[in-house]
Amino acid sequence: MVEVEAAGLIAIGAGIAVGLTGLGAGIGEQSIGAAAIGAMAEDPKFFGKGLLMTVIPESIVIFGLVVALILLFVF
Amino acid sequence: MLKPERMTRVVVVGTNDALDQTIENLHKLNLFHIIDYGEEEAGFKIGKPRSMASKFSEYLVTLRSIENQLGSGEGSGFDKKISAKELSPQIESTLSELEEEVLKQHDLMRKIETELKQKQDIEDTIKPLVSLPLSLEDYTGYQSIKVFVGFIDSNIEDAIRAETSQYELYTGSIEGKKIIAVAVVKEKEVEINKILQNDSSYTEIRPPELTGNPQAALGEIAAAKAKLTEELTNAESELIRLKQEYAEFMLASEEYLTIETQKSEAPLRFATTDHAFVVDGWVPLNKYDDFEKTIEGGAGNVYASRLEDEEVKDVPISLDNPKAAKPFELLVETFATPKYKEIDPSLILFITFPLFYGIMLGDIGYGVLLGILSWMIMSKVKSGGLHELAIILSYSALSTIFFGIIFGEVFGFPLFNIMHHGMVEGGILGIAGPNIWVLQLPIHRFAEVKPLLAMTFVIGILHITLGLILGIRNVSVEHGFKHAVTEKLCWLMILFGGIMAIVTAMPAILWGDILNTQDPIFISGIVLGIIGIILLVKGEGAIAIMEIPTLLSNIFSYARILAIGLSSAGIALAVNTICRDVLFAQGGVFIVVGILVLIFGHTINLLLGIIGPGLHSLRLQYVEFFTKFYEGGGTKYDPFGFIRKYTEE
Repeated sequence: MVEVEAAGLIAIGAGIAVGLTGLGAGIGEQSIGAAAIGAMAEDPKFFGKGLLMTVIPESIVIFGLVVALILLFVF
Repeated sequence: MLKPERMTRVVVVGTNDALDQTIENLHKLNLFHIIDYGEEEAGFKIGKPRSMASKFSEYLVTLRSIENQLGSGEGSGFDKKISAKELSPQIESTLSELEEEVLKQHDLMRKIETELKQKQDIEDTIKPLVSLPLSLEDYTGYQSIKVFVGFIDSNIEDAIRAETSQYELYTGSIEGKKIIAVAVVKEKEVEINKILQNDSSYTEIRPPELTGNPQAALGEIAAAKAKLTEELTNAESELIRLKQEYAEFMLASEEYLTIETQKSEAPLRFATTDHAFVVDGWVPLNKYDDFEKTIEGGAGNVYASRLEDEEVKDVPISLDNPKAAKPFELLVETFATPKYKEIDPSLILFITFPLFYGIMLGDIGYGVLLGILSWMIMSKVKSGGLHELAIILSYSALSTIFFGIIFGEVFGFPLFNIMHHGMVEGGILGIAGPNIWVLQLPIHRFAEVKPLLAMTFVIGILHITLGLILGIRNVSVEHGFKHAVTEKLCWLMILFGGIMAIVTAMPAILWGDILNTQDPIFISGIVLGIIGIILLVKGEGAIAIMEIPTLLSNIFSYARILAIGLSSAGIALAVNTICRDVLFAQGGVFIVVGILVLIFGHTINLLLGIIGPGLHSLRLQYVEFFTKFYEGGGTKYDPFGFIRKYTEE
């Protein structure tokens, strides 16, 4: 019984790690994305830099995912 | 390869009588990147455009405005190119002919549209009158009677009767609204008008000066409108016919005029004196001999010479890669054009981009579909950015199929038999995965998360190391080795020192084992890292310490290679499970629903599968890899000339 509870808690923890970081990345990306599209409207050459800046907060989710994977598969 | 094409600075000097021929030759060669002559120095002036320049640009403006009106697009070239010599005498007459035709049709269309609008207005006014028992001529043309017509809600008759007894009132209703016509003697016009205007619900209608039954008039108008609409359609189809008839002429002459305008305006970029001209620019080094021969042999007193010891500044960049890696120049250029002395990473992208893409998507079925898609785009679009993207997609498709075999996945179904929770799940081939070298196929992505995650970190470390090594090379070339040590090598030391320390300390961190601080690998890792940090602080100041954690986040970032793959495989598996275990098991109509779900689910997943891996593979290049060595900021090589599509000389 204890085993099962622990597994459940780990799964919940993993879910929280991915879910919250996903929200965080989304909030971060929304304003960068809007600004990047604005810059691109001025000068399409900003596409490369804009895309780059926009995906930067995505690393947060990846960290969350790494934490989740470690929780699920290492512990 | 890896470096932009070598360029050489060239000055072409000649006498003015050879100017025209030299421009022709330069243009035909399509090799010379002209440096515009800007400032006027003693004795030199900016050249004057050729006499035909204004005429050509005038034609070009006319042509483009016609193209705008006709909405003609770009073609992909003709079977047979049009001779420029034959075209040039026709341009003036054909162009004015075409302009006249187009304007005529446009004027006609505008006239018809105005008439249509008028008919529509009359129709709108007559329509309510149908409900009144009067002919159209009854409303106007009296000397002693005034007729008011309009919509009204309230009962107005009492008010009118109070004013005069000499009136006639007709009422009707249309679409639920009440309409009245009041005929009164002329003397009472002002008073009655006042009564009506004071009623807030009254909206006046001004009947048109027509005769006959309103119903019949409506019929006539409808017929007239139909006729006008037909005329309008005719004019439109005439425009389409013109567009088709002159399509070749427009494309060819636009190209011809663009070329001629370019040539005529070229002297504006030259430095000239009363008798001679000088033009400065760049030519690819390996084509210089040809260049010199053609320019000097082509026209009278013209000489080309190389400036060998010129400082390498603002060299135009022409990327030089094997044909297979060429499309990846697009991805590099999207980020930034490299500087002349910088490494051009197109060739590295040629390997790593499809590699990452393949590991992320890794499915034979999707790979085949992607291959077909890219082949379709390639055969449809023969040139330009989309064509190059399609080539990149085709490499990625191959890589996807390759990793699909390794992961043993076809649209999320297993290719080989796999063990799943102790049970054998039958694969499509119905055989167990083969054993190739040390690799036992398939490597099932859901079952092997831990080793695959470790693999992505190794890929990340290798990729970043490669980036830092290229960085050391770039900085040494530009600023010397000492800078390279404090700017890039120190990062490499921190990276490897950190890895050595963390790997040896890992058991202690994860499972609470006792940390062996005497371990030589651990100690040397810490020492290496500390030396790296000291060098870093020496080079970029103490604030740079803040940057160290990004190294860790950079490596973690490569976990997305696994993450994207898991999510795409997960969606495919979910779709398959829903169809096979839930819907198909029910039988009957559910099989149809199941097939629909299958098609819909995999289409969505494929779309996500194109966008997701593409974007993330690119991001790993741009954010994690390029930032280690790549600055960019070069000028693109833009030779004076034109690649003819529709015309020939």
